[in-house]
Amino acid sequence: MPPIIKIIEEPLKLLGEHGVECVIIGGVAATLYGSTILTNDLDVCYARNAENLERLATALLSVNTQLRGAPPDLPFILDTETLRRGLNFTFTTDVGNLDLLGEVRGLGFYEQAIPGAIMFELFGYSFPVLAIKKLIEAKRTAGRAKDMVALPELEAIQERQLQERSEEDKRET
Amino acid sequence: MKAEDEDYFLNPPPGSAAACAVEFGIDLTLTLENLRLTPEERIRKLDEFIIGVARLKASARVLGPRDAADNQNN
Repeated sequence: MPPIIKIIEEPLKLLGEHGVECVIIGGVAATLYGSTILTNDLDVCYARNAENLERLATALLSVNTQLRGAPPDLPFILDTETLRRGLNFTFTTDVGNLDLLGEVRGLGFYEQAIPGAIMFELFGYSFPVLAIKKLIEAKRTAGRAKDMVALPELEAIQERQLQERSEEDKRET
Repeated sequence: MKAEDEDYFLNPPPGSAAACAVEFGIDLTLTLENLRLTPEERIRKLDEFIIGVARLKASARVLGPRDAADNQNN
């Protein structure tokens, strides 16, 4: 039996270890807010500045990264230039699947995704996680059945967060 | 976790997003279980679930239709 890999924890540690500038989006972000929806890959929106592409390329090269679903004979050189020329990548690696999005539909680039993000301490590293409001917007824009199914629960979690914030504000005043 | 949070998910106020979620078919008791965990515990739980499913798939063997097995035994 192949070794058991924690396919969410390990890619997070990889990104953290290499200091990759990114924001956690998708199903893992939903999980972090308490959603019960299941996902089996990590989606992040990454910053496209030259230094970050360098860090990302180094991180990916260390875990035998391949394009997911591409024919094995398709020429693919993983380096900063390839990342710069592309935008959204779906990879398979030795530590699990990793979806790297330069742009998120309905949200934009990293610079648009990061405002309002919530910082989470995970496995010894700090990660920004897409604000729940934006996560809901992104899922609504994506509009796939699996995204729409996730919405009612996320909206309930968001509503409770907003109530809590308003209760805190009342206590402070 | 605060009592108000528990109450919101266990007894959703009419017209709330939680009430809509229940109507949609979401089991908010499971959401509440997740909310009681730390974010790191939520990721570990997800990973454990994925590993569990992979183990289940690896151990599963299709034995064929039940009727065929019955016929073989007779």
